[in-house]
Amino acid sequence: MDYNKIRALLELYWEGETSLEEEEMLRHFFVTHTAALPEDLREAAPLFRYFQAEKEQELPAWEIPRVAPLPGSRPWQHWMKYAAALLMMAGAGYSVQQYIVRHNELSAAAWQQDTYQDPEKAYQEAQKALELLSRNLNKGTEQMEKLAYFNEATDKIKRN
Amino acid sequence: MSLELFHSQVVPIRPKLYRFAFRLLNNEEDAKDIIQDALLKVWHQQDRMAELQNLEAWCMRIVRNLALDRLKSKKYRSTEMLDRAGEMEAAHQPDPHLAAEQQDVMGRVHRIINALPEKYRTIIQLRDVDGFSYQQIADILELNMSEVKINLHRARKAVREQLQNIQVYGLQ
Repeated sequence: MDYNKIRALLELYWEGETSLEEEEMLRHFFVTHTAALPEDLREAAPLFRYFQAEKEQELPAWEIPRVAPLPGSRPWQHWMKYAAALLMMAGAGYSVQQYIVRHNELSAAAWQQDTYQDPEKAYQEAQKALELLSRNLNKGTEQMEKLAYFNEATDKIKRN
Repeated sequence: MSLELFHSQVVPIRPKLYRFAFRLLNNEEDAKDIIQDALLKVWHQQDRMAELQNLEAWCMRIVRNLALDRLKSKKYRSTEMLDRAGEMEAAHQPDPHLAAEQQDVMGRVHRIINALPEKYRTIIQLRDVDGFSYQQIADILELNMSEVKINLHRARKAVREQLQNIQVYGLQ
């Protein structure tokens, strides 16, 4: 290639005014040119050879990991959520059931606690309870008798 | 963005994103981490997909921002960067002396470019190595076209001055 053309392109290159094609031409020239270069072109040669070496340089091998399918695309992928919810519901149900069974057992035990094994003592306790009931009932009857007198008096007044 | 769209448009550019991250960080493990984080971020910002004109530039921008955050947070000091300078492979050269000399020159150029400010370095990387257009670079770096050209011009000028020093004085 004509050195003058390279000089002109280089000036544009240093100014940042070259196109990608022109830069490719310069790189190709400096990489492939084996004969001695004119002095004014020598400064650019290592740079373009460096760019070429960088382009060709193999980077460390890296097995790029496959991008895992991201959640949200298929409903069945949420199975763990559903399983957890189901487990929680089963747990809650079991707890409630256990509570009811235990509660019933405790109620039955409490009911059985006041029974008496000795019939004599049971009789005495029952008698005491009935006496208490009787006393209270009599109190009520006395009040009712007073009321009866009052009604009788009212009837007499009405007749007269 | 559907999963299919993600697979068809984002997944295929992962190698390019990885190369970009690797060159910014000069560290293989960190580059891998950054790509994973970037893909996650892209997925979480899927609502913005509709507004985007250039998906690739958007992904590159996310990678760059994450890489820069990492560089800042770790007060990054890459030793690999210096190591790699010595590993730059010169063109196949039958003469061992000439090969060693070429390798030395490659190492010097590598150091010159890596010594540039991050913005200049990235612009040179995107343009001269990866071959992105000015518009794509503008999208990636969130600059306008004229800013890209100005920065590219300054970056190349800085590199040229250093190359001239090598040429004339054998410095570096």
